[in-house]
Amino acid sequence: MNKEISQNKSPNEADQLQKRKDHFARNLARSAKTVLAELEENPDLPLGMHYFINIMREVFVKDRVHQLLLPSLHQSTNNRKIIGTYCIMVPEELIYAAGAIPVRLCGGSYEASCIGDELVPRDTCPVVKASIGFTSFNLISLYQMCDAVIVPTTCDSKRKMGEELSKFTEVWMLEVPHIKDSEGSRRQWLQQLYVLKKNLEKFTGRRFTGRKIRRKALDTSIKMIGSAQYQARRLYEIRKSSAPVILGREAMIAINAYSYATAFEWTKAMTGLNDELEARCHKGQFICSEHTPRILLASCSPIFPNWKIPSLIEEMGAVIVADESCMGNRYLYDPVGLTEKSMTDMMVSIAARYLMPCVCPSFAPNEDRLFRLLQMAEEFSIDGIIYYVLKGCVIYDFELIRVEKIMKDKNIPVLRIETDYSSEDIEQLRTRIEAFVEMLGTKKRNSLATKTLRF
Amino acid sequence: MTVTNLRWMALIISFFVLILGGLIGIDLGGFLPTYACPYVGQTRGGVCFLFRLQFILGVGSWEAFKALGEHLLYFSILVVLIGRAWCGWICPFGFVQDVLDLIRRKFHIGYIRFPERLRANLRCIKWIFFFIALLIPLWVAYPLFAPSVAGDLRQPFCSLCPGKYILPLVIGDPDSVAVDFKSATTITMTILGLTFSTLTIIGALLKRRFWCPYCPMGLLLSWYKKISFIKLKKDCQKCTMCEVCYNVCPVEIQQVFKERENEDVTFTDCTLCLRCVEYCPEDGALRATFLGKTIYKSTSKGFFSRQHIIPAVPEEKHQKAALEHTNE
Ligand code: SF4
Ligand code: SF4
Ligand code: SF4
Ligand code: SF4
Ligand code: SF4
Repeated sequence: MNKEISQNKSPNEADQLQKRKDHFARNLARSAKTVLAELEENPDLPLGMHYFINIMREVFVKDRVHQLLLPSLHQSTNNRKIIGTYCIMVPEELIYAAGAIPVRLCGGSYEASCIGDELVPRDTCPVVKASIGFTSFNLISLYQMCDAVIVPTTCDSKRKMGEELSKFTEVWMLEVPHIKDSEGSRRQWLQQLYVLKKNLEKFTGRRFTGRKIRRKALDTSIKMIGSAQYQARRLYEIRKSSAPVILGREAMIAINAYSYATAFEWTKAMTGLNDELEARCHKGQFICSEHTPRILLASCSPIFPNWKIPSLIEEMGAVIVADESCMGNRYLYDPVGLTEKSMTDMMVSIAARYLMPCVCPSFAPNEDRLFRLLQMAEEFSIDGIIYYVLKGCVIYDFELIRVEKIMKDKNIPVLRIETDYSSEDIEQLRTRIEAFVEMLGTKKRNSLATKTLRF
Repeated sequence: MTVTNLRWMALIISFFVLILGGLIGIDLGGFLPTYACPYVGQTRGGVCFLFRLQFILGVGSWEAFKALGEHLLYFSILVVLIGRAWCGWICPFGFVQDVLDLIRRKFHIGYIRFPERLRANLRCIKWIFFFIALLIPLWVAYPLFAPSVAGDLRQPFCSLCPGKYILPLVIGDPDSVAVDFKSATTITMTILGLTFSTLTIIGALLKRRFWCPYCPMGLLLSWYKKISFIKLKKDCQKCTMCEVCYNVCPVEIQQVFKERENEDVTFTDCTLCLRCVEYCPEDGALRATFLGKTIYKSTSKGFFSRQHIIPAVPEEKHQKAALEHTNE
């Protein structure tokens, strides 16, 4: 799989390369460890979080992803293919139904992005840099384990990334239409999924039997992911409560961990966490006062181990109650809605779920996102929005103006921060976020004071 | 009890009342905005308004027109009351189509969906039927030319209507399925009618509510959508454009999920079956109102229980909570 790296190199070069790889891998493990240690320091950390933190530790620190995804050495699980996915348009239902296991590969490591730096243009976003870095260097075995990788044609960088990745691994491009609501594009998308289904069948089938994705299997996997979504929605519901019971940076790790766990295990753990948090709500065991400014972290995804921004915001005394990234609230929100058990209906519903409600900015027009943000601001009682742009993510940055405009009408301040995975700018960011949070805090206290005066 | 089950119950009861009610002396009158087809014979429990309309126009006398006015009034009252819920909840022919649809679903065969273009082109059919039902009876009444042809036409739309052939067949009266050899006119009309019937039966096995988009009764009912008491409403901000409501809709109404401005989403073809409300996964994105008061509302919990992801929550429970919240 690491064709390019290991082949055509003299022993000396290979040696040096190995050294560099070890160096990066050590650093990655160290930074992941630091983030996890910081999370674990919190005395209020819900017990249910340990499962999710552990997943991250296994994947990034100990590099033992194998045990996570294929826990038993049982014959049937051992032969299972692992399929890497990028973005959120790849229907995991189909992958599970084909008997394979999906893992989401969008990369969040600074170290990996440094490797990627040499392979892609300078202005590419760090997610793509890190993903390419991970794949080309095999920093962790997760990327090497994937038998195939599915890359949807979303933003420019992701699309070209697919092409670059094909140097290292088997890549299937998945064509996502950029205009959602025309009938033609929807039909084409459905056809794409039928093709994907066929490819998966071929890929996972044994040599001659060519196992098909059966109706029952697909129904089961839709339900399995549906349960995960139900639990994810429960978590959001809890986070809507007036005084928070879980920190945003913790909740986001829990969601992020879905990328590297099987849906079934993850759902079990999430159910436990939700039960625990609901009990906290009942007991009034809040982690901060209701005066704490509530932040919506908009746009780009914080992806583990790049926990720089979520940590900063919450260290400055705000709490992230929601994010709209495709690694966060959006990851497991929209469900597949079935009314009957025919293959047609299942495929149509899956196609609908992955295309229509998706508010990835690579779609245009993307008015839906504005509606979604307004609704979130209302539901989660948002005091301020931090608009997190990763350097190079033009499409999210493009939409800033519209978001600012609608939020101005709602009197919700928006702070745009642009950064990448490095920690160079952390002091400067700290100052800006601190000022913003302070402003929100004052505003909130004042408005609460006037409210109590009036009553 | 889910709305779907409730609707099945309503459909079954009305089928018995309207098609077999005559057996126990039920007669609900001649102005029913639904396929209470008199061609089923003595067992009918009421009369389809389209039949009366054509019959009265065909008589053409002053008294007849006065009677028409009266019928129209009663008809309008009934339609204003519950709008096209007549189609979703009562129509016996809708019921027959739903049963055929159920058979398809039991065999796990997928449904067919016509492309937008085709659907738009077929939209004129119900208008053609409507004008046949409206204008030809006048010719029957005043046969200024070809009187023999006019005389054989009588209720022209009825001869074309699949209800005339299928509904009697359903209650075990195969005589209705026959070509009327009285004259060239009747032969043509009955052959056309039988063709439509066959198409509808096959169609309804492959496509949900196959006949309804072409039904002139549905067209009549849809004119009342602005003033009828039941309405479908959407909270555009809560809607995530997930398309679920489109996929579950038996008459494939796209506008409900595409609507981004108006609250009222009761569109022309909507049969008010409320499946979209039932299956919408967003709390309060869709709701049905009666005289402005919310009577049914979409809930996220309801969605997941219908997908059999969480154990079935008694519908009444979360509906009640949700409704109290809105009607406050
Ligand atoms: S925002 Fe869109 S393009 Fe970016 S990672 Fe998410 S799904 Fe992919
Ligand atoms: S044939 Fe059709 S239009 Fe005529 S009375 Fe029967 S149902 Fe009504
Ligand atoms: S539109 Fe359908 S349900 Fe309504 S009256 Fe016509 S056949 Fe019956
Ligand atoms: S099902 Fe509900 S949320 Fe989805 S598109 Fe329809 S109205 Fe919107
Ligand atoms: S729009 Fe809703 S209520 Fe109307 S026919 Fe479609 S599913 Fe039924």
